[in-house]
Amino acid sequence: MKQFIYGLLLFVFLTLPPVATLLESIMIIHMHLQMPLLIFSGFLMARFFKVRFPAFFYKWNRNGIPGILLFSIILVYWMIPRTMDEALTVYASEIFKFISLPFLAGIPLRDSWRKLGSVSKNIVFLIFIILFILMGWLFIGVDDQICNNYLRVDQITLGWGYVTLAACMIIYIVQLIFGDQSEFE
Amino acid sequence: MKELSALSLQQKTIKALGVNTKDAKISLSYLSVAFATLLIGGILGLVQGLQRAGLLELPPWLNYYQVLTAHGILLLLVFSTTFTIGYQYANLSHSLGGLLPKVRKLAWSGFSLMIIGVILVVTMIVLNEASVLYTFYPPLAAHPIFYVGLVFVVLGILACCFGVFINYRHWRKTHPGQTTPLLAFFAMGVFVLWFFASIGVTIEVLTLIPWSMGIVETTNVMVDRTLFWWFGHTLVNIWYLVATSAWYVIVPKIIGGRHFNEKLIRLVVILLVILNIPGGFHHQIIDPAISESIKFLHVFMSLSIAVPSLMTAFAMFAVFERAGRKKGGKGLLGWITKLPWGDVRFLAPMIAMISFIPGGAGGIVNTSNQMNQVIHNTMWVVGHFHVTVGMSVVMTFFGICYWLIPYLTKRKLTPQMNRLGVIQTIIWTVGMILMAGSQHLVGLLGDPRRTSFTTYGDHPRALSWIPYEYVMGIGASLLLLGVIIQVYAVINMMFFAPKGETTFPVAEPEDNALPAPMWTERWGLWSVLLLMVVAMAYVVPIVDMIVNAPPGSPPIKTW
Ligand code: HEM
Ligand SMILES: [Cu+2]
Repeated sequence: MKQFIYGLLLFVFLTLPPVATLLESIMIIHMHLQMPLLIFSGFLMARFFKVRFPAFFYKWNRNGIPGILLFSIILVYWMIPRTMDEALTVYASEIFKFISLPFLAGIPLRDSWRKLGSVSKNIVFLIFIILFILMGWLFIGVDDQICNNYLRVDQITLGWGYVTLAACMIIYIVQLIFGDQSEFE
Repeated sequence: MKELSALSLQQKTIKALGVNTKDAKISLSYLSVAFATLLIGGILGLVQGLQRAGLLELPPWLNYYQVLTAHGILLLLVFSTTFTIGYQYANLSHSLGGLLPKVRKLAWSGFSLMIIGVILVVTMIVLNEASVLYTFYPPLAAHPIFYVGLVFVVLGILACCFGVFINYRHWRKTHPGQTTPLLAFFAMGVFVLWFFASIGVTIEVLTLIPWSMGIVETTNVMVDRTLFWWFGHTLVNIWYLVATSAWYVIVPKIIGGRHFNEKLIRLVVILLVILNIPGGFHHQIIDPAISESIKFLHVFMSLSIAVPSLMTAFAMFAVFERAGRKKGGKGLLGWITKLPWGDVRFLAPMIAMISFIPGGAGGIVNTSNQMNQVIHNTMWVVGHFHVTVGMSVVMTFFGICYWLIPYLTKRKLTPQMNRLGVIQTIIWTVGMILMAGSQHLVGLLGDPRRTSFTTYGDHPRALSWIPYEYVMGIGASLLLLGVIIQVYAVINMMFFAPKGETTFPVAEPEDNALPAPMWTERWGLWSVLLLMVVAMAYVVPIVDMIVNAPPGSPPIKTW
């Protein structure tokens, strides 16, 4: 239950207007810090829901695939530049962000990850690595300003953020493949 | 049970055979270079100290900035690096039961590469072609060969990194289910950090070579400075990690105690490795082209290193108190008197640890934006790093010599040599207090660092610095005396001390201690986390520096 409290505290902290405004004022921090933290808060809160509603998770997410699909859809939705732009101007969109990321992405991720086999996990990694590289390429390469609210230099910065993130994930996978994981048990 | 007896068998063979002579030769070679360098660097230090106080005029063929560049590079880069490698390879050989033949080969290749590199670098400094100071970032430009020399040094370091990684992997493969001995774990931390630190400086130097040759016209000064401090700051913390390996594992044994909780020690190492590199930005607080908010964020990055440091301080005092009380120390502070103050192997690292208190406090001053504006580029900074590196790190290194060298040469530490060591420690301490203390004070009065003697046309302000600079000169003289004694002691222990057996002092855990958890060995994961932290810290400012770059700088030779 401690985890739930920490997750809730983090969530409340992130919703505080000055915190939200500060984090959203820089494009890369909006996408690569605020959003992941929202997901993480849901990830922590998931314990409570899993204990409270085990039947629900058992019925709808027995093998983890539906959960990870929901997670991916929400994530991809928020990777579209337009949605991020809207979150800054359309109030409903901002509220949707604060609900969808913790509750529709963080919680299913926690529930699904354990249930997935290593093949599915690798597929998820692969998809996101490819996606991140594409997004990086897009943000670095495109000559126009994509968002109304952010400058081009913010866009390029975010692009490099995606590329480095993808690189870190690749290195992580490589060390998983070449390292002997059984030795850490 | 079988595992246990295999383990003790291995330990018995180590005991019976003592040090592996092939491995000892590697360590001794590195240590010899280290102390030869210390002697030259120390002489240059005194020359500088006297010149700055106006007490010594340099001959026309030698200028202050040549001396300063050589002093910085020889002591900060060469002495500390070679000592660290010699000591860490001895730790590795001892705790993993000998180096693999191919690792030995790597260590020797690293040695040759470094020697070639240092010769190239020093030659260029002596020829007055490279007075760019040890920070060597643009717009000051050295002769291309100077940078080529640096590339050789970095390649040498990388060879030693791979040596450690290979030996570690081999041991892990052959010892499933066991955690690595603590000293080998420290060695991994040191060399993983070194590997990633080298990336920054390699990129920098490779851009500087074509620039200094005139193939490209300009270079981006801000990016180069940032890459330099990525490396420079991390290097400082590598020495610090090396020193802590002795504080945690060696010193407790010398005072007859046990080492602290192994899980906490490993956690400190992991935190230092993951969080370290972005601290480099605290050297750029006054640099333009980094936005206020980024600098503000980096204050946190830089102060986060205080967490493992405070954990270390806490752990060490707990260990001392426990050992002192076991020996019958009574009352609140009675245990302090029970510590072996007359043993140089304890005294030197102990003073080193104590000096970390003012050193750390000074570091917090330096990393705070407003206070940095007061002390930036003054003698205060010079005082600061002589306390941190010249005392905390170097005195730990000196203390290590008094058991490591006799161990490696199969000789004994005689009581006379111990007494000499205690005297050396006292001289060094007094010298550093005088020199670094007056540097701190005169820095607050505005005396600039890295500046040849001048009175600015007898300006009263500049004249008020001179008394402090005399004290600095006295301290510097004591320090050179300390260097000479230390080098004498090292030579004596290498070649003349009586033959005998010296043990490698490795502390044991407390009897009821839990085994260290296996997950601490996930170096792949720690490396990825390190890279994530680096990405978070560097992507925003570096993209900004490149996209909004001013016209670059041509190479400039001011001397
Ligand atoms: C005999 C002992 C030593 C003496 C007398 C000494 C003296 C000095 C002096 C007078 C300066 C010049 C400050 C300036 O003009 O800005 C200096 C700079 C410096 N010293 Fe030492 N020092 C000694 C030992 C060490 C040691 C052991 C280290 C490191 C391992 C070290 C590292 C440095 C560095 C990095 C600089 C800065 C160079 C620069 O600003 O470019 N010194 N030292
Ligand atoms: Cu630093």
